[in-house]
Amino acid sequence: MKCNVAVVFMHDYLDGDLAREETMQLQKHLGECSSCSNRYESLERTEALVKAFPIEKAPADLGDRIMKSLPSSRRPKAWTSWVRRHPAVSAAALFLVVMLSSFVSMWNQSQELSVSGPDLEHVIIEGKKVIVPEGQKFSGDLVVVNGEVEVLGDLDGNLTVIDGSVTPLASTAHIAGEIKTIDRAVDWFWYKVSSFFGTLAYGS
Amino acid sequence: MKPVETRLARLALKGDQRAFAEIVDMYKDKLYHLAYRMTGNRQEAEDVVQETFLRVYKNLDRYDENQKFSTWIYRIATNLCIDRLRKRKAVYSLDAESSEHEGLDGYAMLPSDDRTPESELLLSETQKLIRGAIATLPVKYKSVMILRYLQDMSLQEISDVLGMPVTTVKTRVHRGREFMRKKLENKQ
Repeated sequence: MKCNVAVVFMHDYLDGDLAREETMQLQKHLGECSSCSNRYESLERTEALVKAFPIEKAPADLGDRIMKSLPSSRRPKAWTSWVRRHPAVSAAALFLVVMLSSFVSMWNQSQELSVSGPDLEHVIIEGKKVIVPEGQKFSGDLVVVNGEVEVLGDLDGNLTVIDGSVTPLASTAHIAGEIKTIDRAVDWFWYKVSSFFGTLAYGS
Repeated sequence: MKPVETRLARLALKGDQRAFAEIVDMYKDKLYHLAYRMTGNRQEAEDVVQETFLRVYKNLDRYDENQKFSTWIYRIATNLCIDRLRKRKAVYSLDAESSEHEGLDGYAMLPSDDRTPESELLLSETQKLIRGAIATLPVKYKSVMILRYLQDMSLQEISDVLGMPVTTVKTRVHRGREFMRKKLENKQ
């Protein structure tokens, strides 16, 4: 056996990791080679000395100090761990909160009159009143928010009034589509959602 | 039946402070010993032990019961020690051997504080030699040697704690052992 192999075997032996067969080979080599046997003795001594090294005890009050340094409540941790364990539900809840708050803020913002439709040159706006004049023909859907609507002419589409009112139709008026009046948050919400999906479906 | 620590960890997670105190009692001396030998400084050793328990406490819910509790807690403590040694190195370059004090690098010369417990006074010359030899071990051998000899861990456990293959641990034990042998033989 070569000496460099013997050194590797020595370490494996000290690790308790040397097969029986190889241990015998090592023993044989140590009997023949004095430098290796010296080296082995020296390693064994080192091993014994290091193992016998006394344990350093922690200061007596360390345990108490550790217990006092701990944060008092585990509550917030429990909450975050719940979130970690239910990522899908947490994401859905967060989404709902964001959606709701954006709806609420939109609802609060809209105190001003707004009129929308494809054909706005055929309407007259006076203060908070939106008029489709007699003899005029408005083609398309008309949406009015926060205002009154008076239809004297033709409306070739749906009329939607949000948070407002429709003056009873004059005899000259003609509305091809339906009239919707919305003045409650829930209805408005529903209107927003259905029109959102309508846009998705028809792309306009 | 689950090991004691695992059951204590579960109780502590539910808010049982006494269970956690029990864990602290079981490990504080072992961790202190580890940290003191790693850093060579009592104050730092205390800091490391405190920080380790704080992290364990905060992350009890992440403890994976499939691994041994001791492996987990030793991993946290060893990493904290290694981090400290790295930071120190960056600041003072303690690895440079001093010309005045043969064989001693900066780690060995860091002032340990004034409190000298009785156990220290009773140390024999040989034990002082061993302490010096451990203190001068390069960091990568130091952690392996301390876990192997002062914490009595198997090579497999060390590999779990340090997250490195058993073969690497083995090589480091061999090199560390040779390093220690040379240090101790030269002085005798």
